[in-house]
Amino acid sequence: MELTALILLPFFGGIAALFAPRWGRDAERWVAVAALALALVILILACLTPEEGRWIAFERFAWAPSMGLQVILAMDGLSAALLVVSLALGIVSVVVSWKITEHSGLLNAALLWTVAASNGVFLSFDLLVFAFFWELMLVPAFLLISVWGHGDREAAALKFLVFNAVAGLGLLAAVFYLGASGEVVTFDAFEIAGRQIPHGVQVILLLGFAGAFLVKLPVPPLHAWLPDAHTQAPTAGSILLAGLLLKTGAYGLFRFPPMLFPEGFATLAPWGLALGAFGSIYGALLACGQTDAKRLVAYTSVAHMSIVLMGLCGGVYFSLMGAGVEMVAHAFSASALFLLIGALYDRTGTRDLRELGGLQQNAPRFAAAFAVFFSAALAMPGTANFLGEALVITGMFQVNWIFASITLISLVVSVVYATRLFKRVVFGKSRRTETLEDLTLREMGPIVLLAVATLLFGMLPQLLMGALEGAVGAALAPVAIP
Amino acid sequence: MPGLLPLLPLILLGGGAVAAMLAAPRAPALSRALAALALAAAAVAFGLRLPAPDATFALIVDDRLARLAGLVVCLSGLGSLAFLRPGGPSREGPALLLLATMGGALLSGATHAASLLLGLELVTLALVALFVLPLSAVALEAGYKFLILGAAGAATLLMGLALAHAATGSLEFAALSHRGALVAAAAALLLAGLAFKMALVPFHMWTPDAFTGAPGAAAAFAGAASKVAVVAAIVRLDTVGPPAGWGIGLALFGGASILLGNLVALRQDGMARMLGYSSIGHAGYVAAVLGAGAAGAHDAALFYIVVYAPALLAALCVSTLVGPEARIGDLRGLVWQRPLAGWALALALISLAGLPVSAGFFGKYVIFTALIEARAWVLLGLALTGAALGAYYYLRFVAVIFRRLPDPASPALPGAERVLLLLATGATLLLGIRPDLLLDALP
Repeated sequence: MELTALILLPFFGGIAALFAPRWGRDAERWVAVAALALALVILILACLTPEEGRWIAFERFAWAPSMGLQVILAMDGLSAALLVVSLALGIVSVVVSWKITEHSGLLNAALLWTVAASNGVFLSFDLLVFAFFWELMLVPAFLLISVWGHGDREAAALKFLVFNAVAGLGLLAAVFYLGASGEVVTFDAFEIAGRQIPHGVQVILLLGFAGAFLVKLPVPPLHAWLPDAHTQAPTAGSILLAGLLLKTGAYGLFRFPPMLFPEGFATLAPWGLALGAFGSIYGALLACGQTDAKRLVAYTSVAHMSIVLMGLCGGVYFSLMGAGVEMVAHAFSASALFLLIGALYDRTGTRDLRELGGLQQNAPRFAAAFAVFFSAALAMPGTANFLGEALVITGMFQVNWIFASITLISLVVSVVYATRLFKRVVFGKSRRTETLEDLTLREMGPIVLLAVATLLFGMLPQLLMGALEGAVGAALAPVAIP
Repeated sequence: MPGLLPLLPLILLGGGAVAAMLAAPRAPALSRALAALALAAAAVAFGLRLPAPDATFALIVDDRLARLAGLVVCLSGLGSLAFLRPGGPSREGPALLLLATMGGALLSGATHAASLLLGLELVTLALVALFVLPLSAVALEAGYKFLILGAAGAATLLMGLALAHAATGSLEFAALSHRGALVAAAAALLLAGLAFKMALVPFHMWTPDAFTGAPGAAAAFAGAASKVAVVAAIVRLDTVGPPAGWGIGLALFGGASILLGNLVALRQDGMARMLGYSSIGHAGYVAAVLGAGAAGAHDAALFYIVVYAPALLAALCVSTLVGPEARIGDLRGLVWQRPLAGWALALALISLAGLPVSAGFFGKYVIFTALIEARAWVLLGLALTGAALGAYYYLRFVAVIFRRLPDPASPALPGAERVLLLLATGATLLLGIRPDLLLDALP
């Protein structure tokens, strides 16, 4: 039952948070933190007592038997790592939006529901249930942007939703086809993985899956929703978008194409590599040209996730492992940057790089935090991001030296944008930051947590790599029926 | 008389209509209460008889399909009654609604041309009267259009039935499965007549006016209850003897409706108008699935239309509350001003858009799966396009509902509306989590 609890706890926690404001001051926030913390404890306990075989935990029960619908939840190291990320970022996002009083019941509910739905995505192996959670993610994230966002938030929210909902339809159609095309209606991914699907059909179905994943990832030219959504979203929304929702796209690509459509994946993987190569350069170059700090970080996400895509499509051990590590590392570093920029925006009312500066003199804690995550953004050795990107590049050299060189070039460009961000924000002088209040204790908590995670996995890579071993193996040699 | 037991719901509805009509001039409140009682009793009668053995009469049959459709029609009628504005010139409203419900219930069990026509006309004429009851110019226009188009539809239908009779000498549905040019022509005319009731392109012109001009409750009945009954009638025709060329016709109507309904809905800023055009699109999905003719097509069509009913009822109820002329901007911050109405509308729109956790997600599932089973790739493509467009225009409204507003000033909802919204929202959520409850109940 522990896997079900990981989904239902945040979900019902969200419903409780909706009604909690009438119970007392800050009750909805404490409810949210408690639900997530409890889920985190359950997750850790489950990881400490793993079951035999490929999965740390495995659950299967009927949902709507007459429709062929069952719940199959399975957790391996990859899922576990992403679940830790999701619950931790959930707590972080509740903490950073502590001061938002407007409709705070629904705010915390939306945060928890986003976490619940993405937990469902990370665990489900019944494809219809997977699609269910996939679509479910959109609604609370949409609310987060459109209700608590900045500027033209409704347009940004709608853009986010339409891009993802339309791409989701391809996934839905492919899933329904897989379910309906067997002898009995079933959406059991393990059973479908054992089927012989003609090559052409595999390619078409994979395009349906990949469309949804690539939009969520996102990779150019499917990324148009991301800069707006990230920029207009409230800090908590940006954290969950960058840390969680983008990872669901990467997770989907990691898990399902090699498992369900091995031959089709082999056909399309080179295109994925090309798309990833293009995206890594494109995202990095655009990041260099941004003046809005949040927009800049949004474009770096495009670049980093494109590198993840290359790793996933590389299909060799190192590239896959690198993609997995980078997914986790980027979740920590990108959400920390969004947190810092959000905190800066709350104080100065601007995210414009031309107007910021002087943190090093006026707010040393701010400056130090920026330094840590700036090094992560340019993949400085010692951070988990370095490990991820180094592994992807190593893998790329086994696949194709051209793609490997392109990744290297994108790393060089990442130095440019990261340095620019760092220089403009931390050094120099700015009227706006002269009376700046440094990071408060409540803000330091999440920052320290994320910094420790980034550095820990950078220094002790075995921690993370060991956990990902099983998933990487399965993506190399697909089909393992428990 | 046990032989009349299967007719009990019809008797209740008819008797209720007479009683409500008698009470209307003196005591409108009593008339309303009587109508609600009759509708509830008929719904219970349908519901209790669901597992009973089939009973066949000369003109109608009492089987699971008829009972389920009858139950949904009665519940939708009850839902429409909840937000039928009482008082004024619309004192006869409850009685008319009962008559329309009776027509729908009759239609659900029709196996014979006579009962089919009787049911359809009962619905149409009662609805025409309901449409014009506010006696405003827009209402009169809506009623007028509905009457003219309805009469044309009925005439087409009659002509079709006449041709069928000429060809086969029978007026039973089974006769339509004969082959021959005359029967084919009869089937085509019959289909056109039914397409009018389903509001399928090109017989859809009455819908937008009905949704904007007529009272919300009447539009809700036309959009939800009467469509459930017509889908039941089409399913029955299809089961007893699928007429020749029927599938292609339905597929064409369906495809055109999906495209046109969703494309036009995309450009609407008026809440009711958007719902009106999108309802054409939703009818299109059902027609497309029935036309594609997969093994599970009947279940899919019934599931979809039944799931559609509570969402449409809730949406139109809220639309009536904020004013039938409401534009998208008038819904600003509805969730904060009137929490129940706002949440109910948001969930209804999410369900219509086909997102979880709402019954609409599984509606999308059954439609897509049935089209895939039938290998109807063109229709599937159209349905995907329609769903993509729908996601946009529905959620545009959802975004506005949740817009931040400083002052939560909330006029309390009337009791009947409150109950309706709660029940409709509950049904949408329940079927979004346990869709098999409905799917297992389908015949």
